[in-house]
Formats: sequence, C-alpha cells, structure tokens
Amino acid sequence: MADKADIVVGIPSYNNAKTIGHVVRAVDAGLAKYFPDKKAVIVNSDGGSKDGTSEVIKNAAIDHNALLIQHPLSMAHRITTPYHGTPGKGSAIRTVFQMAVDMGASACAIVDSDLRSITPEWIELLISPVLKEGNDFVAPLYDRHKFDGTITNSIVYPMTRAFYGKRIRQPIGGEFGFSGKLAEFYLKQDVWGTDVARFGIDIWMTTEAIANDFRVCQAFLGAKIHDPKDPGSDLSEMLVQVVSSLFDLTEKHSDKWKEVKGSIDVPTFGFRYHVGLEHVKVNVERMLGIFREGQSNLKGIWLDVIGSGDLGEVLVLGAQSDQDFRFPLKLWTRIIYDYAIAYHKKKLPPQHLIKSLVPLYLGKTASFVMEVEEMDKDGAEAEIEKLCMEFEANKAYLVNSWK
Amino acid sequence: MEGFLNLILEPVNEVYLKFKGFFPNLLAMLTIIIIGVIVAWLVKAVLLKFFKAIKFDSWCDRMGFTALLRKADVWAKPADIFVVAVYWFMIIGFLMVGFSALNIQAIDSLVSEFFLYLPRAFSAVVILLIGYMVAGFLSRAVLIAAVNSGLHYAKLLAEAVRLLLTVLILAMALEQLKVAPSIVVAAFSIIFGGIVIALAISFGVAGIGAARRMIESGGEEKKEERGEVEHV
Amino acid sequence: MADFYQTGIITTLHRLGKPSLERLESELVEYAKARPLALVLPALYSEFEGKAMPRIIEELAKVKYVCKIVLVLARASEKEFIKVKELMSPIPYEVKVIHNDGRRIKEIYDTFRRNGLDPGEDGKGRSAWLAYGYVIADGECDVIALHDCDILTYSREMLARLCYPVVSPNLDYVFCKGFYSRVTDKMHGRVTRLLISPLVRSLKDLTASHPFLIFLDSFRYPLAGEFCMTVDMARVNRIPWDWGLEVGALAEVYRNYSPRRICQVDIAETYEHKHQVLSSEDPEKGLMRMTVDICKSIFRTLASEGVIFSDGFFKTLQVAYLRMAEDTIMKYEADAAINGLIFDRHEEAKAVEAFTSGITIAAQTFMENPMGTPLIPNWNRVTSAIPGILDMLKKAVDEDNK
Repeated sequence: MADKADIVVGIPSYNNAKTIGHVVRAVDAGLAKYFPDKKAVIVNSDGGSKDGTSEVIKNAAIDHNALLIQHPLSMAHRITTPYHGTPGKGSAIRTVFQMAVDMGASACAIVDSDLRSITPEWIELLISPVLKEGNDFVAPLYDRHKFDGTITNSIVYPMTRAFYGKRIRQPIGGEFGFSGKLAEFYLKQDVWGTDVARFGIDIWMTTEAIANDFRVCQAFLGAKIHDPKDPGSDLSEMLVQVVSSLFDLTEKHSDKWKEVKGSIDVPTFGFRYHVGLEHVKVNVERMLGIFREGQSNLKGIWLDVIGSGDLGEVLVLGAQSDQDFRFPLKLWTRIIYDYAIAYHKKKLPPQHLIKSLVPLYLGKTASFVMEVEEMDKDGAEAEIEKLCMEFEANKAYLVNSWK
Repeated sequence: MEGFLNLILEPVNEVYLKFKGFFPNLLAMLTIIIIGVIVAWLVKAVLLKFFKAIKFDSWCDRMGFTALLRKADVWAKPADIFVVAVYWFMIIGFLMVGFSALNIQAIDSLVSEFFLYLPRAFSAVVILLIGYMVAGFLSRAVLIAAVNSGLHYAKLLAEAVRLLLTVLILAMALEQLKVAPSIVVAAFSIIFGGIVIALAISFGVAGIGAARRMIESGGEEKKEERGEVEHV
Repeated sequence: MADFYQTGIITTLHRLGKPSLERLESELVEYAKARPLALVLPALYSEFEGKAMPRIIEELAKVKYVCKIVLVLARASEKEFIKVKELMSPIPYEVKVIHNDGRRIKEIYDTFRRNGLDPGEDGKGRSAWLAYGYVIADGECDVIALHDCDILTYSREMLARLCYPVVSPNLDYVFCKGFYSRVTDKMHGRVTRLLISPLVRSLKDLTASHPFLIFLDSFRYPLAGEFCMTVDMARVNRIPWDWGLEVGALAEVYRNYSPRRICQVDIAETYEHKHQVLSSEDPEKGLMRMTVDICKSIFRTLASEGVIFSDGFFKTLQVAYLRMAEDTIMKYEADAAINGLIFDRHEEAKAVEAFTSGITIAAQTFMENPMGTPLIPNWNRVTSAIPGILDMLKKAVDEDNK
C-alpha cells in the first residue's frame, strides 16, 4: 500500500453484479475524462457477495489508467444488514478511508454500487469541489420525486438543518466527496464498533463534517435511480436505524447545536435541472389506517412521549376525514423534538420509542402527499422549507428541555 | 401432717425449679426482641434518610411505580411503604429469633421453617418484579409491531400476551412459594390452556373474514406495497 | 345599558337590548353536546357559611348545559369537606369536590414538589390550576368556565353569557373574560380604576405602546375573576399562584393566542362581592400585596417581551403614573357627580398613594430578582415530568368523592 494516489474512489458493494459493472465504468470514465493528470485509484470493498459481483469487477474493462483494487471485507464485518444503503457499508467505508489516508490522497469519493443513473460527470462533481475549491465535504443533491425520501424530508433534513445551521438537503445520500484531511479525521473517530457505523454511516459523515466546522458543499447529481430494494424491507426497522442514528448524533453534539441559531445555505455545484421522474404510487389510505390504529392503541406511549396537550391535538386529527386530513407542521415539529427528548432521557427502550413513531410518521407522510398532490416540485419543496422554518423556530423548546 | 405439706410443696417447688431453669431463656428472648426493635428503628431511620437522599420517591414517580400504588388507592409515599415493609420484616425476624431463645421445641421448628422459607419468598418477589417488567416490555413490543403492520386487534393481541405472561409469572412465583404445588400446576395448566384455546377460538371466529381476504388477496397486497415511496 | 362601541384589539360583546336567558340557555344545551363544559369553582369553606354560596348553588341547580362542576375546596377540615359535598348535592349533574387539604390531594402536591414542579402556595391560582388538571385528566370536557364563589349578586345568566362565546361552535373564540360595572351607591373596583388603567396607560407612553399593553388595556375589567376558555388553553398556559393571577393569565393568553380569538363579555348589570381592606403599612396583606403582585406580573411580562427596565425608568413611571391616576380621579369625580353617586375624593387619593408605594415596592423587588414572579408550570410540562400524574389526580379526586 505504499503507492501514492491523488484520488481514491470507493465503491462498497454487496450482491450488485447487475449494476456494478456500469458503476465502475462510469467512475473510470469520469476519472479519465476530468482528471487525466491525476493518479487515481478505485477501491471496491465487497461485503461477501454471492452473486458474482467480484467476477464482474475483475472483468470490468478498465480502459483507462485508473488502478482498481478489490478489498473483500473480513467475515466479521459482513454481518450487518441495514435496511437502507449497502450491507456492511460502514466497514467498507472505513476501508476506503484507511486506503485514502495510506495513499495520501487529497480527494476521495464514495458511490453506491446499485446505481443505474451514475454518469462520469458525477465523479467530477464530487471531486472537483474538493480539489479545486478547497471544500472538505461534498454532499449529493438529487432530483427526486416529490413523494420520495420522506424520512429525509420530514425528519432528517429539517432537524439536521435546524441543529447544525447548514442547509444540506440530502444528509443521507449514498454518494459523497471528501478531502484527505476529513478522511483522516473520520478514521480517528471512535464510532467504528457502534450502531452508528453499522446503520447510519451516511448521516454520521454528514453530521460530523458540519458539526466539526469542515467546509461543506453540495453537488447536484441529477436523478438518483438505483436497483429496487427488497420490497420486504420493514419501514419501522428503517426508521429505527435512521432516527436512532440521528438522535445518537444529537446526543453527541449537544454542546454544539445548542449554540446554533438559524441556518445558512451551503455552496452548490453543478447545473440544476429537472429530471422527468417516474410516477410514484402512494397508498394514502393504508398510511392513514395505520395512523388511526396507532391513535387507538398507542395512546399510552404517545402520552408519555409527547404529553397530553399534543396528544390531544393528535387525537383530534384522527377525527378528520381522509381527504381533509392535514398534519399541522408545528405539531409535527414538537412531536419530533419530544421524541428526541424522550430518546435522550431514555424514557423507553430505543426500539420501542422509535417504532411508536411509525404511525405518526405515516400520518404526517399521508398528509404531505395529499398536500402536495397538485403541486409541482417547487411547491412541494416550499412545503418542506416551511417545515424547516418550524424546526428552526421551535428549537428553543428543545434546548430548554434538554437536561 | 408433714406428708401433706410435702404433697403441697413438692409441685410448687417443681414449678419454681422449672421456672428457674426457664427464666434466663425468657430474659434472653426479651433482650433479643428489645434490641431487635431498636435495630429495626435505626435501620428504618437510616433507610428513610437514604431514600430521601437518592430521591427514591421522585424516581418512583417517573418510573410509574407511584401511579401503580395510587391505582390501588394507596397514598403513602413509596419510600415510606418500602421502609415500613423492611421494618416489620425485621421485627418479625427478631421476634422469631427471640422465640427460639425460649428453647421450646414447637416454636423452634416453626422458627427454622420460617427461616428456610425466606429465600423462597425472596426469589418469588424477584420473579414477580422481573416478570412484571418483562411482561410490560414484551406486550408493548407486540402492541407497537401489530399497530405498525396495521392489525386491527393490536391492543387485544398485546393484552393477550400480557395476560399469558402474567399467568405464567404468577404460577412461577407460587411454585417458588410452594403453596400447594400440585394444585398450582394443575390450575396453571387449566387456566393457561383455557386462555390459549379461548384466544384461538376468538381469533379464529373473528378473523374468518380477515383470513379469507388475506388469502384471496395475498398476492395483490404485496404488489401494491412494491410501488410505494422510498422513505429515505 | 351599554353602548355598542368596540374598543381595543379584542372583541367586546355588549349587553344590548334585553337578551333572553331562555334562548341563550336552550342554545347552550345544544352546543354543549358537542363541546361539553366544565365549571371550575375555587372556593373556601368560609364562603359556604356566607350569603353568596347558597344563592350560587340554588342558581346552578337550575342550569342544564353544564357537564360537571369541579369545586376546589380550600381551608376545610375533613368534616367540612363532607358537609360541602352535602351542600352541593341539590345540583342535579356531576359535582366533584376537590379537597385541597385532604391527604390524597396533599400527597399529589407533594409529588409535584419532589419532582421540581412547585405549584406554589395555597391560593386561587393553585386551586384553579389543580382543577384544570382534573378536567384534563377526566377528558370529558372541552371547555372550562370559572367564576368566584363570593358573588353576592349571582345569577345563572352570568354563567350563560360567560361561556356562550367559547361553547358556541359558530364563534371562534378560545378565551372569554367577563366584565361588569361595579356600582352600588358608589363606584367600586378601585384596583382596576386607579391602579391598572393608569399604570398600563403610563407604561404605554413609556414603552412606545407595547402590543401587550394595548392588549391589556383592551380589557374593560382585567381583574374580573370570571372567564371561560378551551381545555387546550388550560394545558399550555402557565398561571401565577399569587395575586398576579388574573393579569398573569392574560399575559399567557396574549403569548399563546391571537387577539382575534379573544373576547370579553358583559355578564351582569350589577355585581357585588367581598371587599379587600387597603393596608398601606404591611405589604404582605390584602390590597397592598395584590398591588405588588399585579405590578410584578406586568413588569415580568414586559421584560420577557424585551422591554428593558432601569431605576430611571421606574422613577419616570412613578411620576407618570401619579399624574395619570390624578387625572383619572378627576374623570371619575365627574362621572360620580352626574350619576349622583357618593364619591370620596380623599379616599381615592389615599388609594392612589398606596398604589404608588406598591409600585415602588414592586419595582424594587423586580430589580432585585426579575425572575421572582412565581408561575405554576403548565400541565403539558407536568405530565411530561411525571407520566402518571393525571391518573393519580383523577384517582385522588374520584376516591375523595365516593
């Protein structure tokens, strides 16, 4: 590993034989086209694929001069399977950091291996802001369907933004660019054995970069289309993983976010355009059904977490007809903050706590879907912006209750 | 005449001698009990101070133990209840030890039985406490999971789990206490089995429609889910 | 009797013509089905021995739209508590008497205290607050009405007019305050006439018409103890437990709701109740203490709104207040003259003097300790600190009333 490299691109993979060939070629082409004079290395760390992913990589035609290294993970690191992202991604990413540091790379990127929409330009967009503009962290910005990414839109984005004051639209995107300095910093953090590394590595990288005052920016990558996920993936497990990672980070950085007020835009690279996206089917009735089930059965738990006042408001919501159902933004904000406080105070076991949020989340999502049904993408984005402002405006409540 | 006097004095003398032999025992018993009461008092006072210092009451309030007491219309402070229990327990213990100092066989065996029984009582209490928490935890887990998968009878299911576990735990505790073990086991089997059958029947009867819908539309429902939004 | 002029930024509902009590009550019966009403009565045992209470009970027994009465009985022994329950029995709907000094309720107060939620000293504020807690725990009612138990001129029309604006689903009010004229052969209500109005107006001059003062000045009788509100409001409002209760409650209303949803209603032609004695020496007693508490409550609210206080400010305030109060006395003198009322100018001037020193004391205590005005935590806060507290409270009250 004594070789030196300027750029390291990591591709964590697990059973991605179908797509990884395309991803590797795109990365390779991007490196050749935009950074012909730099020495670049592509690292694939595989979590033990059984569908011949590694053979595909071996045969992937590397037309250019990038060096391809395969780095299978040891058995011990393969067992974790998050419900979003690639299995074993945390350990895979750690490997990439390690190699980046060993090779003295000045810029790195990580891309998911299940991408169908990756183009060579992505590499330019993720690497250049680091190499040429001196940024430390490049978060992705995608054009997504207005109904997609609801956990991000209704919890992760508003909260991260209100907490750390930087408007990073996709804190849990799968692609990142970062500097060698940041890779070194990440490597030194003591998280690699924890759940955060296992299930929330994306949000962790984003949050650490902002919270530790690294220079952050976003790059517009266009549409993100990837291989369909396992349809059996369980929403409540997913919510537990994402939200508990988010809350764990909140716990860790409590000194930092208490001081932050308001939020600012971060520089955005790439040319913004709208992509025609497939229609997404949403079963609002089913969501509201679960919300109402929660309402009649989880009252006791909700009362403990959000208090009787907000519970009263939630109960009133259920009386609305399906068409008129709207979840007030203020109420949702307080609910999320109350959940953060309950998590902090360990009122319930974390699994139970966050799973009891599922019906509320589905209610909020159903309300959002109906609200923006007739709107275009900008209208939907404006709704999310309103929610973010509520999160920022009510942050004092959380700061005061955090003891 | 003398013979007659002896006839009277002899039993009196005998009683006196017996009493003379017995008196130290009585004294020992009284001493033990008095010391016991004093010790129990001291322990009570110290425990009260200690609980106050660690804010035991406030902890009970937040954990919901106080609410449980109040539900039973008990309005004393949790710490007081605990301390009074300890106090009386110690008093009873010292009384037992005191009685055993009398060296009367019947009491002796009673005392030793009492002390042999203590570990059982203790483990029964521990079983009840742990069981209460486990039952609460599991039934909540079932409740949340059922709600999140949109089941209509979530609460029923959770309550059923809690009921079954409660019966199981009570039976375990009674088993520990060795209260009519054969009856406990028989009663437990009957009750537990009865509940399971009752649940099975009620679910079956109530769920005929749901089951039919599920079987008939099983395939379709899955397809529908596939098209749903990406949450992350 | 009154004109129909709207003043201030809140709605004023006047008594115009001869409103029919029957119509009002029959509408209320309908409305209350959708939005059930709880009547909260903070009472002392001594009030049951006075003249006012028997009349109030007699009137309440005729009311048909109230879902339940929650009477908080303070300063009563166990025997007196049982007697009060008996006295309340003619009322044909549900009555819960909260025994403030009973062992269960005492334990409830202790539970608050040991968890760092001090409900303050015994008083109307704390009693009312506890009653709100019971109404919330009980969960049957959506609207709370409250009035004192020392009203000598009570009629059930007062209650009907008081709760109509909030109970009616056609009117979008969340809070309604009663007002009335307090005139017998002379004008009463000195604290309102000679303290609050001149004080609020002189403060308005000094703070470039702060919106809270405009809001406060909109109320014709800010010290009236009669009001009606939604249960939601009872959950979020923090109220002071001292004499600043009425003003402090208005401050919380101002903080949490838009003035468009607030109204005041003329509830009675005449109103008479027990009077406080003015004691200018001992600030802990009666009217003087009331003055200090009210002023502190106003100062604290303004400070929390960003108004900066200094010694100079308070000196100016005293002078401004004094002049404003003297002008006010002159206005009332004329008012009394034209209506043929007795008017003791000397008494009025003495009152203003006492109020001035009250303001000084309040200013001093405020400068020494700006956070000193006591607020009882709101119910949302309490329930999140002690999860089972509402159940405990309900159990305690229900057991006491068995």
